[in-house]
Amino acid sequence: MNHDINIGKVRTNCWRQSKVDGEFMLQLRVPGGVIPVEYLQYASEIATKWGDGNFHIGTRLTLDFPGIKYEDIPAVNKYLKKYIKGIEEDLCGVDMQKLAHEPHEWDEDSGYPTIGARNISACIGNRHCICGNVDTTDMARKLEALIFPSNYHIKINVAGCPNDCIKAHMADFGIVGVAKIDYHPERCIGCGACVKACKHGATRVLSLNELTGKIDKDPCCCVGCGECVKACPTAAWSRNPKKLYRVILGGRTGRQTPRTGKMFLNWVTEDVVLGVINNWQKFSAWALDYKPVYLHGGHLIDRAGYHEFKKRILEGVELNPEAMVAEQMFWHETEYRSNFNVKKPEDHLTAGPGSQG
Amino acid sequence: MSYFVTTEQANQVLSKLLETYDVYAPKRFPKQGRFSDTDIIRYAKVEKVDDIVYDEKSDFPAKEVINPIQQAIFYFTEDEFRASKGHTRPILLFARPCDINAQKVQARIFMDNGGYQDLYYARMRELINFVLMECPGGDDTCFCCSMGTNKTDNYVMAVRFGEDGLKVEVKDDKFAPYFEGAAADDFTPKFVEENQTKVTVPEIPDKDVLLALKNHPMWREFDKRCVSCGACTIACSTCTCFTTRDIVYGQNPEVGERHRIAASCQIDGFSDIAGGFGYRKTAGDRMRYKVLHKFHDYKVRFGEDMCVGCGRCTSRCPAYIPITATVGKMAAAAEEIKKEQGK
Repeated sequence: MNHDINIGKVRTNCWRQSKVDGEFMLQLRVPGGVIPVEYLQYASEIATKWGDGNFHIGTRLTLDFPGIKYEDIPAVNKYLKKYIKGIEEDLCGVDMQKLAHEPHEWDEDSGYPTIGARNISACIGNRHCICGNVDTTDMARKLEALIFPSNYHIKINVAGCPNDCIKAHMADFGIVGVAKIDYHPERCIGCGACVKACKHGATRVLSLNELTGKIDKDPCCCVGCGECVKACPTAAWSRNPKKLYRVILGGRTGRQTPRTGKMFLNWVTEDVVLGVINNWQKFSAWALDYKPVYLHGGHLIDRAGYHEFKKRILEGVELNPEAMVAEQMFWHETEYRSNFNVKKPEDHLTAGPGSQG
Repeated sequence: MSYFVTTEQANQVLSKLLETYDVYAPKRFPKQGRFSDTDIIRYAKVEKVDDIVYDEKSDFPAKEVINPIQQAIFYFTEDEFRASKGHTRPILLFARPCDINAQKVQARIFMDNGGYQDLYYARMRELINFVLMECPGGDDTCFCCSMGTNKTDNYVMAVRFGEDGLKVEVKDDKFAPYFEGAAADDFTPKFVEENQTKVTVPEIPDKDVLLALKNHPMWREFDKRCVSCGACTIACSTCTCFTTRDIVYGQNPEVGERHRIAASCQIDGFSDIAGGFGYRKTAGDRMRYKVLHKFHDYKVRFGEDMCVGCGRCTSRCPAYIPITATVGKMAAAAEEIKKEQGK
């Protein structure tokens, strides 16, 4: 077939090239993985009218529609208007007339303006889950307004608890809901259910003190999951009402240097999380010397180096008293190739002014 | 004599009462529930009428005030000891009929059993004045009507909470002065006459049926389902079991205090005895023990069932095991056995 297609431009509108000649797959953003069911009518319509009758639940919880002809893209983009406005503007409070926080006109008939900031993945969180400590949907929607639309790439996964079903450890930023746990010793019968639960499902920080019949805790190693609260028959443990988060940094997959993220912040408030993510556009712009090239966010952190990143991403963020910040960051990458980083100095990747040629 | 008082007036009455009485009532503890962003309602001291949760059943029973989860019973130094002083101020205890009737059950165990009166229960009960909270109907775990515990006249005052104020029946005249000048009302408390959930307690005519019921396969279901946490007995309005534990001060085991702490027949180890033997080693056996105790054994000894149908065990069970369904299964098993044995 003879097509004249600017693949890069189409991709920017959230269309993925198919191996089938002239076909593309649309990716609909579903921030936090939750949308009112009425929006499924759009899915049904797109798949039936323009697609191959199926939809795929994307690996980042997008709704994907394969088998759409290139020629149909303008019609589908136009059709998407109500979905985009409903989800992004109404549900998430996104300002569609901005790009990376700067004023930028969006033609509402042209589909998604950017693909850089990826759909925010989240588990169902405490709206449903018996383990969840936080409302992940709410957090995902708040974060969406800070990162979208933007050509700067970022992947955020929001987990309701340290069990991390959504794999916050595999994203640039993994936001994990944690709880400080309050102990009410006057309600404790010393049954040891929490000790067993912590040993079985968490970090073994609890032990029964034989002298007091009460529970001793090593607060340093507590992951803040709340398994002790769930296990306690008397409500002697309860989650402190202050909602706190852990931020895991720099996890990724990929062909070069896949790695698990490491703990960047611990016991921080929602304001801190939002403040940090709010700085992402500014950090990315600086790192890429104000040229939004298609480059995965994690690599920007590498190029800047952890300390430079830390300085910039925490700029103006007021840490809450409980907050802990990683002094150093030692990622452990999969060594597909030994001494992957040893190369000619002129091949070194850098960030900041002049780095993008 | 009955009165209507606005919430503001009620708060004034309450603050006058607080000069003499400690007032305990169901209170909401926000976000302290088992799951995130869920609340716990349990008994605590209250100082404002608004603190009293009246339209929702408390998660934990009123017994916690009288018979707390833990208390120091005496302090010891080498060969000397001194009993704890316990509570001294009289108490107004806001409770629904189930919770008030539950104290009849607890009193039989603590005061009228084995020829011995329990000092710690007795001294606390003397301080208690029940304020009946008219029950607005409970929830789908309640079955007080099946247990005959929906009514009571054991109260000094009765209260109906409303949006704009409280209706109060003052039954004990010593509380009348607190309501001087309040508007008269013809209020008398109503009692729940029917629950959504009904329970038929099985008839167990003799020992043969009881023995067969004990060995019935129905109990094996709970070996897998019940997690043996004991939440049901802690939430129970009538359970009295406790253990004692010495808490020694620092390194010296000769100085310390002895605590009485709630114990649970559902937790593994409850029936362990010297030599390492345990009577009830499986969750199913422990469930059988509890259910038969509540719905048969206690009645054989004292003439009334031990359960008051408050349903809190059902609400608090993390494994979705409702006591009503379990009693239903036991009743069906008893019928099956009686048929087999031709009774």
